[in-house]
Amino acid sequence: MATKARIWKPGDTVPRTIGRSLLLTLPIALWSLLMFANPQRQSNRSLQIASVITSIFMIALFFMMMRTGSTYRWRRWFFVALGILFPVGFIHNVMVMRGTMGIPIEEMIAGRTPFCYLPIPLLILPAAFTKTLVFPGSILPGGGMSGAGMAAMAGVWLAITLVVGKGWCSYACFFGGIEEGMASVPTRAKLRRIDPRWRYGPWAVLLVMVLLSLALFEPAYCLWLCPFKAVSEYVAARNTVGMVQNGIFVVLFGGLVIALPLLTKKRTQCAFFCPFGAFQSIFNKTSVFDLKIDRTRCSPCVLCKTACPTMSLTDESIARGETLMSCMKCGACVDACPKHAVVWHIKGTEVATRPERARLLFLYAAWGMAVMFAGSIIAQGLATILHVLV
Amino acid sequence: MKLRAKLGYTAAGMTVFAALLVPFLLYGLFTKGFAALGLHVDEMYSGGPKVRTVQTAGYSIDIHRPVFPRMLQREGPFVQLDWKPVSALPAHVSDVVDVDGDGQPDIRVSFDVPRDAKTPLRVNVEALNPRYEAMRNVGKEKFSRLIVRVDDAILVRVPLAHP
Repeated sequence: MATKARIWKPGDTVPRTIGRSLLLTLPIALWSLLMFANPQRQSNRSLQIASVITSIFMIALFFMMMRTGSTYRWRRWFFVALGILFPVGFIHNVMVMRGTMGIPIEEMIAGRTPFCYLPIPLLILPAAFTKTLVFPGSILPGGGMSGAGMAAMAGVWLAITLVVGKGWCSYACFFGGIEEGMASVPTRAKLRRIDPRWRYGPWAVLLVMVLLSLALFEPAYCLWLCPFKAVSEYVAARNTVGMVQNGIFVVLFGGLVIALPLLTKKRTQCAFFCPFGAFQSIFNKTSVFDLKIDRTRCSPCVLCKTACPTMSLTDESIARGETLMSCMKCGACVDACPKHAVVWHIKGTEVATRPERARLLFLYAAWGMAVMFAGSIIAQGLATILHVLV
Repeated sequence: MKLRAKLGYTAAGMTVFAALLVPFLLYGLFTKGFAALGLHVDEMYSGGPKVRTVQTAGYSIDIHRPVFPRMLQREGPFVQLDWKPVSALPAHVSDVVDVDGDGQPDIRVSFDVPRDAKTPLRVNVEALNPRYEAMRNVGKEKFSRLIVRVDDAILVRVPLAHP
C-alpha cells in the first residue's frame, strides 16, 4: 500500500506542476551542488563521477517528492541505495587497508577501530562515571576508516539529531536500508500476526546493553549482538569466543535483516531489536516535527497501521490521533492513507491546517541532512563500484 | 494565529536554519565540544600512559603505567612495554627490564623480530619479580597478554600476578 504514490485531490495546495515542483526543488539542488562540489574530490575521478550521479539522484528524488506528494515511495530508493552502497564502500576500504573484514587486535590497540553511531548510547554511563570511552577507537582524527575519530561521529550524530530527531533512522542511518529493501520485495506479508509486545524489544536490548557495557566495561552490543557486523567489520576470530560472536552476528543479520523483513514487510531489526533506534526515539520528544492523524477524516481503515514499517501505529494511537514515539517519520502511513487523514505536523499548530507546509519544512531539513551525510556515503560506495568495474 | 502555532512555525524555521548550519558550524562545534569533554579511551585498549623510557643500544623501551580492570571487565591487570623503532631492533630481542623503576630487574622479555611485518610474533617472559606473570610462546591471546606490532613499535603486555 505504501508503495503507491499519493493522488492529490483537486483543490489541494501542494505543488503539482513541473515548474512549481522544480522551483521547490531548487534549494535542494543548490545544497547538493554545495555539498558535492568538494575540492578534495577533484583528484579522484571515480568519486567525481559518483558525486555527480549521487547529486542528480538526490535532486531527482526530491523533485518527485514535490511533484507527486508522496514521500515514502521516493525516500525508499535513496534509503535502499544507502543501505547497499555503505557496505560496498566500507568493505572495499577495509579490504584494501588490511585485507580482511575481521578487525585485528593491533588495530584496536592503535585506536583504529571504525566508530559508527550505534554504540553511542552504550558509552554514556561509563563516560559519565569514569570519563572513559569503552571503545577501541580514537577520540580525535587519526582513528577510524575515515580518519575522523569518535568525536567526529558524535558531532555529526548530535547535529543531525538536533535537526531531524528520530528521523535519523529514515534519512541518515546507513544500516536500515538493507532491511527496508528486503521488506519491499514481497507484494504481501506472509507473516501478518505479530505480537505487539515485540515493540518493547529495542528498549529491552537498550537497557540490557547499557547495563552490560557499564558492568563489563566494553561495548557489549558491538561485541555480541550487532547484526551489521556481518556486512561491515567483525571481531577477528582468534578463539572460540570470537567464533561464537561472529556466529551470532550472522544469525541475527540473516534473521532480522533478511528473512523477517521478507516475511513481514516490516523493518524488523529496527522495530524489534535496535537499541540505538530506541535511544533515538527519545529525540522524537524534542523534534518540532511529527505525524498526526486528523480524526475528522479518519475512517479508520488502519491501512496506515499496516503500512508502518516499525509498527509505530496502534488502534489506540490512531484513536488518539498520533503515532508512537518510535515513529521515524518515513512517511509510509501518510502515503498509505486514502483519506489524507495522516498528515505531517508541526508541534503547536492545528492538525491538518497546513500539512504540506509542515511536510516541506521537514523535508528540507531531513533531505538536506540526507544529502550531506548519507549522500557522501552513497557517492563513496558508487565510486568504489566505478573504481573496481571501470 | 495562536501563540503556540507561531512558536511552532518559528521552531520549524529554526530547525531548517540549523540544518543549513550543520556542515559549516554545528558539526565542527559539536565535534570540538565532544573532544573538549576530557574523555579518554579505556586503558585496556590504549595501554595506559607512558611513564618511563629505557634507552638501550639503538632502540628504546617505553614502559606504561600498569592497567587494572574496572568493574567486571573480562581482562586481567597488565603492564605494557613498547620496543621501538622496529627497524632498529635486532633479529632477536632478549632484554631484562626494570618495570617499576626500583633498580631491580623485574622481567626478562625475549622475542624474535621477523623482517616481514605480517609474520606473527611470539614472546617469552620470565618473571624475575613475583608481581609479574611469566608467559611462554604467547601471541595475541587477550588484551592483557600479548605481543603485537603497532606501526613502528612492538608492544608486549605482561600480565600482573593477582594480589
